[in-house]
Amino acid sequence: MNAVEVARKLKEEFGAAVRATDSPSPDRLFIDVERAVLRPVSNRIAALGGRYIVSIGYDEIARNGTLGLVHTFAFDADHWAAAVRTSAPASDPLFDSITPDIPNAGWSEREYMDLLGMKFVGHPKPKRLILADDWPEGVHPLRKEVPYNLVPPAAEDVAYRLDEAPEGTAVIPIGPFHSSLHEPEHFAVYVDGETIKGCDYRGFMTHRGIEKLCQTQVSYNEVPFVAERICGICGSVHATTYAQAVEAAAGIRISRRAEYIRTVILEIERLHSHLLWLGVAGHLIGFDTVFMQAWRVRERIMWLSERITGNRKTYGMVVIGGVRRDITPEIAKEIEEVLAGVEKETLVLKKSIIGDTSIHRRTKGVGVISKEESVRWSLVGPVARARGIDIDVRRDHPYAAYDDMTFDVPVVTSEDVWGTLVVRVLEIFEAIKILRQALRNMPSDGPLLAEVGEALPPLRHAFSLVEAPRGEAAHYVITGEENRPERWRVRAPSYPNLQAVPLMLLGDQFADFPIILGSIDPCFSCTDRVAVIDARTGRRRVLGRQELENISRRGKG
Amino acid sequence: MWLTSKIKQILMVLKPGVVTLKYPFEPRPVAKDFRGQPAWDHHKCVGCGGCAAHCPARTILVRDICQELRIMIYDGARCAYCGRCADVCPEDAIVMTEQFELATGDRDDITVTMELFMLTCQRCGRCYNMETTNMIDKMELKGFRYDHLEMRAVIPKATERFDAKVLEATERYERPRT
Repeated sequence: MNAVEVARKLKEEFGAAVRATDSPSPDRLFIDVERAVLRPVSNRIAALGGRYIVSIGYDEIARNGTLGLVHTFAFDADHWAAAVRTSAPASDPLFDSITPDIPNAGWSEREYMDLLGMKFVGHPKPKRLILADDWPEGVHPLRKEVPYNLVPPAAEDVAYRLDEAPEGTAVIPIGPFHSSLHEPEHFAVYVDGETIKGCDYRGFMTHRGIEKLCQTQVSYNEVPFVAERICGICGSVHATTYAQAVEAAAGIRISRRAEYIRTVILEIERLHSHLLWLGVAGHLIGFDTVFMQAWRVRERIMWLSERITGNRKTYGMVVIGGVRRDITPEIAKEIEEVLAGVEKETLVLKKSIIGDTSIHRRTKGVGVISKEESVRWSLVGPVARARGIDIDVRRDHPYAAYDDMTFDVPVVTSEDVWGTLVVRVLEIFEAIKILRQALRNMPSDGPLLAEVGEALPPLRHAFSLVEAPRGEAAHYVITGEENRPERWRVRAPSYPNLQAVPLMLLGDQFADFPIILGSIDPCFSCTDRVAVIDARTGRRRVLGRQELENISRRGKG
Repeated sequence: MWLTSKIKQILMVLKPGVVTLKYPFEPRPVAKDFRGQPAWDHHKCVGCGGCAAHCPARTILVRDICQELRIMIYDGARCAYCGRCADVCPEDAIVMTEQFELATGDRDDITVTMELFMLTCQRCGRCYNMETTNMIDKMELKGFRYDHLEMRAVIPKATERFDAKVLEATERYERPRT
């Protein structure tokens, strides 16, 4: 069902409550609705086949005294995406929660309870998500009047209240600092013997306030360099997603050659990320041979990206309007050589581990979540493709030069950790395939940077999707007046996937916790990007200890 | 099955052998066009401040301490090595060197301070009122400069509308010492 049909259908069914529809390009539809019908319209779109992406809240108090809320949905089979916009006066910021129907919206809505002071009627778990536990009530950091560098005094006597443990279970705290987590996050795992019966998650401890920073301090062309630092792995994914969103909002067309170079960089990033994940997964199940060998193969890709971008990581390549460095014929030749080597070595790696019974035993039937549940929870990326959901942004919502590429999207139906492993290994070969096509078909001329006008038009909405190695990254940009975005919302792929982890853990053995969590390739920093204060090490440590003490006391009692 | 896969793995490990570099003892050359520590050429720098206005990490600061002396400070501790400063410099006064071994216990080791003698108009005693079409003016987009009063005016002062009590508590608050 295409955008025009959906717009017509919604207008028929909801009448004047659907105020306006706007389709700036054939693959985007913005629907302005009355606040009262937000939930039914969202449900209707989900029922028509829309996959929930993310919600965006924004502050328009200075302009018209309202808080805005946007729910975005992707229609993957029909190659377009929809955004449902509504607003409420700041004095009465009540919205109907869509979480009971679309569970993945839970975090987005909790985020805006914290950051914008919105209230969601009917939210099943209206607890704090983003802000620190001792952040004063009533101060909503993403509102425009709050200074970006606000540091309210810390409080000593507060702690997060974890969910009640189910009857007959003990609590095992994992984190905030734990050897099987790479970043500070706190899981309280409820176990009965060795079996996991439930899990509560308290994260967002690595808040860096990137969104607020970019909305108040830096300018359009500096944001890509900040965006890269959202994640240590998918740097240019976030830079590209942001740049595409701004380009879409401002109507900037970039040259075909620049698009091809972006494609090459993104695929190199996928190669290195998947090999990195393969190594980490091996390490998590105690199979360090895989870890060493996968990272050995990966090292050549790191050297290659140093050659292309000037940095070991694929950083500093993407700016609004194109790319910064060219891929010369010499570099193209080097890429070909590295690809040949990497392909051969990955094949050896694949052959020697794919039949290994210890990997099979540790990953098959572990972290199971059914296809229906995965659809309901809007999972993305390899985690979804391992559950038989055939989605891939590169094919469904083509960006950069992916519309010219032919490649397969590996989908398996084993619904477990093994499936994610297979999908990722197969994607390595697809990435190599795409890279070769891109190098072969790259137009030989064209400017690297498109001419960007002096001022970008303000208050335009746009969002873009990019397939990161871990799944789909989504950025929503509202252009602003002061040479910087008015609102920039980042949704990293771990954001939806992490929300379904408690479901994956259910009924599994406690020893499988690291690999189940590892199977989604969680990037806590990406997920945490939004926070508003820089977490101060001193305070964070105190908080963590108290939390742990509380938990251990309760566990004993 | 188990044994064959283990044998395969041993073969896989044996073939490449040891790949670890003897790095600190044998230097590893970096790739061409590597982005290492930026270096300023004070002969070429005209003090336009374009680098400071475009630095995403805000690690280049410009201070005018008097009419004729402009101080440019590069604080390497925050540098992201994006090379944006080298890109925008109209005089090619900044190059990204191959230096990457920058770990230090003393912040001053990676801080560069450059004092530039700026010309002023002989007639009015103020800095040149430049034409609006020149390169230097073009670069001065609405970025952020440490002491640029005019540009500071466009940075929204959120504090005017914000709760005075919370703000005061923020100002009085001392971060716990680590």
